[in-house]
Amino acid sequence: MSSLKEYLEGYAGGVKSLLTGMGTSMKVFCQKKVTEQYPENRHTTLHIPERHRALLTMPTDEEGNHKCIACGLCQMNCPNGTIKLTTEMRETEEGKKKKVLVKYEYNLGSCMFCMLCVNVCPHDAIKFTNDFENAVFEKDKLVLTLNKK
Amino acid sequence: MKRDEIIKTIEGAELCPGNAGVVKVPLSQFRKVAEGLRYDKESPMDFLREVVGVDWGEEGLGAVYFMESTVTGETAALKVVSDDRETALLPTVSDLWKTALIKEREAYDFLGIRFTGHPDMRRLFLREDWIGWPLRKDYDMKSNPLRLDNEINADITREYRLRKDGTLEGIDHPIFGENDFVVNMGPQHPSTHGALRMRIGLDGEVITKVDPILGYIHRGIEKMNESLTYPQTLGMTDRLDYLSAHQSRHALCMCIEKAAGIEVTERVKYIRTIMDELQRIDSHLLFYSCLVLDMGAMTPFFYGFREREMILDIFEETTGGRLIQHYNLIGGVQDDIHPTFCQKVKEFIAHLRKVIPDYHRIFTGNVIADTRLKGVGMLSKEDAISLGCTGGTGRASGWANDVRKRHPYGLYDKIDFKQITYDGCDSFSRYMVRMDEIMESCRIIEQLIDNIPEGEYRVKTKPIIKLPEGIWTSAVETSRGEFGVMIESHGDKTPYRMHFRSTGLPLVQAMDTMCRGWKFADLIAIGASADFVIPDIDR
Amino acid sequence: MNDYYNLEALTSVIHAALCGVMPEWVALTIECVIVGVIIILLYAVLAVIMIYMERKVCAAFQCRIGPNRVGGKGGLLQVPADVLKILIKEIFTPAHVDKFLYSLAPYLVILASVFTFSCLPWNNGGLILHMNIGIFFVLAASSIGVLGILLAGWSSDSKYTLMGAMRSGAMIISYELSIGISVLTMVVMAGTMDIHELVMGQADGWNIFKGHIPAILAFIIYLIAGNAEANRGPFDLAEAEQELTAGYHTEYSGMHFGFFYLAEYMNLFITAGIATTIFLGGWMPLHVPGLDGFNAVMDYIPGIVWFLGKTFLVIFLLMWIRWTYPRLRIDQILTLEWKYLMPSALVVLVLMTFCTLMGWTF
Repeated sequence: MSSLKEYLEGYAGGVKSLLTGMGTSMKVFCQKKVTEQYPENRHTTLHIPERHRALLTMPTDEEGNHKCIACGLCQMNCPNGTIKLTTEMRETEEGKKKKVLVKYEYNLGSCMFCMLCVNVCPHDAIKFTNDFENAVFEKDKLVLTLNKK
Repeated sequence: MKRDEIIKTIEGAELCPGNAGVVKVPLSQFRKVAEGLRYDKESPMDFLREVVGVDWGEEGLGAVYFMESTVTGETAALKVVSDDRETALLPTVSDLWKTALIKEREAYDFLGIRFTGHPDMRRLFLREDWIGWPLRKDYDMKSNPLRLDNEINADITREYRLRKDGTLEGIDHPIFGENDFVVNMGPQHPSTHGALRMRIGLDGEVITKVDPILGYIHRGIEKMNESLTYPQTLGMTDRLDYLSAHQSRHALCMCIEKAAGIEVTERVKYIRTIMDELQRIDSHLLFYSCLVLDMGAMTPFFYGFREREMILDIFEETTGGRLIQHYNLIGGVQDDIHPTFCQKVKEFIAHLRKVIPDYHRIFTGNVIADTRLKGVGMLSKEDAISLGCTGGTGRASGWANDVRKRHPYGLYDKIDFKQITYDGCDSFSRYMVRMDEIMESCRIIEQLIDNIPEGEYRVKTKPIIKLPEGIWTSAVETSRGEFGVMIESHGDKTPYRMHFRSTGLPLVQAMDTMCRGWKFADLIAIGASADFVIPDIDR
Repeated sequence: MNDYYNLEALTSVIHAALCGVMPEWVALTIECVIVGVIIILLYAVLAVIMIYMERKVCAAFQCRIGPNRVGGKGGLLQVPADVLKILIKEIFTPAHVDKFLYSLAPYLVILASVFTFSCLPWNNGGLILHMNIGIFFVLAASSIGVLGILLAGWSSDSKYTLMGAMRSGAMIISYELSIGISVLTMVVMAGTMDIHELVMGQADGWNIFKGHIPAILAFIIYLIAGNAEANRGPFDLAEAEQELTAGYHTEYSGMHFGFFYLAEYMNLFITAGIATTIFLGGWMPLHVPGLDGFNAVMDYIPGIVWFLGKTFLVIFLLMWIRWTYPRLRIDQILTLEWKYLMPSALVVLVLMTFCTLMGWTF
């Protein structure tokens, strides 16, 4: 008899658990949905935190001058060879020789956003921005020149 | 046997520098010492944490064995070297610890060290027709151009034995039985949680053997690290177990800090600990989602993701990354916590406490889930220890293996939390351990979040970090087990050898033990309950 | 009862008109073709509606909003767009398959579901296949489907499809017992196998009310077994995505896959439709004995609205079940059938027979 009792109890317990499950799913059915409708929400609910790392940039002041001194520390520290600096020696007015930045190439496609370049920069010449819509159709377009004027 | 005892009694044994306390023993004495440690009366070293193959150049090829006693918590580490680079032979320890079955294969795969007496000496990660041994220092990087032909997997494996006269003898073993219906699963399969491939021997729907074939996303991170400076190596750890990105990086930072003698501030410890626990909740929520999805319940899958999204938002606000955060640095963290961080975390925990009962109502109590999980995929405590299944999987078998309790780091020695263990040894226990750990992590965070002390979030370090010579280790409890870092430094700015203890590798190995005799559908549920992540196995 | 929407008059007028201008056999042929086209059109349109419904309902259960781009805010054109896409996809045949059986299988599956589909009572006078063993025919025709599934799995020459097919075969054959017995329960009560008469017999109250406890139990058993018969979650182990990728139809592409997909949804509709017919009165409006005013108002709603309304309600119930539970394992499915469902169905059958004999039904 005990096995029949067990059988019936198992039956009832099972049915009860199934109904609980259905109750829970119906509760969520009636709740507000959480879908984020990108890109429609670009100007409404989309929130990209300021610290989000999406793109390396070289900020310039109003006259278009950047702070890069072409020391090459970022290039040396990059684990992936993402940054490529082209420099040349120029003579300043005082007659000293000084390394000047010609071209600062940054390959977004191979960047792993580890922050080593920004951390090591002695003059805060580069920084990451949260501008994340960087999809392009060709690989070449991922190579950006940061010191463009 | 204690460390001092080994050094005293074994002729030629010497202590290596570094915090790991590695004792170098001569090759001829190694088996004796290993057996002595394994079957020691007071503290048997029954948990082999890791076998790390190393190429010591002139000195020869060899391995470092890290072991621990689950009875007393004592640890030991042995180093053994074979000076014959042509045919490097080491005696196997796979009869003492089952986990050596797969870890010795890894050493064989990368360094070409053959373990005599190991019943299954196949490559583990690389193709069977790979040329050369990549982790050797004299490996020619150009020796394996990209191959476009298919890899044919051998059906026979080889065991090497030493004859009495010292010559080598090879014995072939078939991998599957004659009557097995072999089904290939993966690397492209919806529920192998990444690019894992398994060959499964079936008898009808009943599993007779699981043979994992790894390496489909192996990136050679350990080899890469040998040419990267210490700060650069940090970026790789986030890409190991992507659901424990923060914790893995924590381990590496700690190891480097220990070796370089850098003290971090209290504030950093608080931040790291909170982030570790948030990451754990994040990972366990994903575990829930994947488990229910693998069992065919699509709806609860979204519940887990709904809450996980909130954690990722919190991460993003402070660290600037969602999945891969790049937050820990040597000597601190990347940035101070965001001003809204504490409040958001508190709101999140309050919300989580409200919705977790829903998770249980829809799935845990459900009769279908119960019958599919309870009593299925048994992994006994002895097997869990011998196979080295740390983390939730081991704790579900009654093995209290939490690194946070065993070797406290961060702030874990100062806070009050329970180590969740279950004695069920089945899939359901493995599931419940994780669900309970979510709540426990909430408790840990609540204890810390209001008391974060003021202070520096990063201490200044030298521009070029060099570690003193020696073998350095550290371990953390990631979301799915003990993650260990071993650095062998020769005093340069790059590591000589850097090894990560994979949390998932023992779990994948344990699949065979857990799945035998169960149905094919159970394999999916067992795999999900073991909770492995492939990039962490294929380092 | 007042029947304002009887189609019988309309069809006989058309038939008479056609017979007036041509011999009867020509008229019959033309009528058959027209009806056939109507069936296929209805079949496709309903499938599109159901797929859209499934997407929206499942999304709502999963805290999502579902299709929302194609065709305005509601994503109304999403499914037609998908249909268009699948129509122009290549039908790819892998090497090593048994070509004849491989191409035959999807047609068998779709044939079975079209057959059963034509037996549904859409409206008074709107029953397409009318025969005195209608419900028996439905059960028989729906069994052809499993043949297609087995053939698909076997001929694809893949281990996954084979396992899916074997699972499906074992499951469907088992669950047909429960379906048969629960349908039989209602046949015992109604005393007829003719679908038209089954519906007409529910003019004074639906069977589920007339047969009270045994009928409700039979209804639940029917829904569970019917869900299994339609290969839907939590009984979808024949195509268990997480285990067998797509089960028996893994190797199919293009419209061949489309047939399986279509048949799956239509089987759901048919399951719900048959449930509506034998338990919920088919196209019969809700009648409460004694409330004549109420009954008269109900009669103003056309039968087809009643039929579709009730059917979609049952479909929603089945979707709710599907999107709540995890999948069962093959041995559990068989345990459920042989240890719980079939014994229960037998008990209900005996109970119903007893009630009918004693005159305890209304």
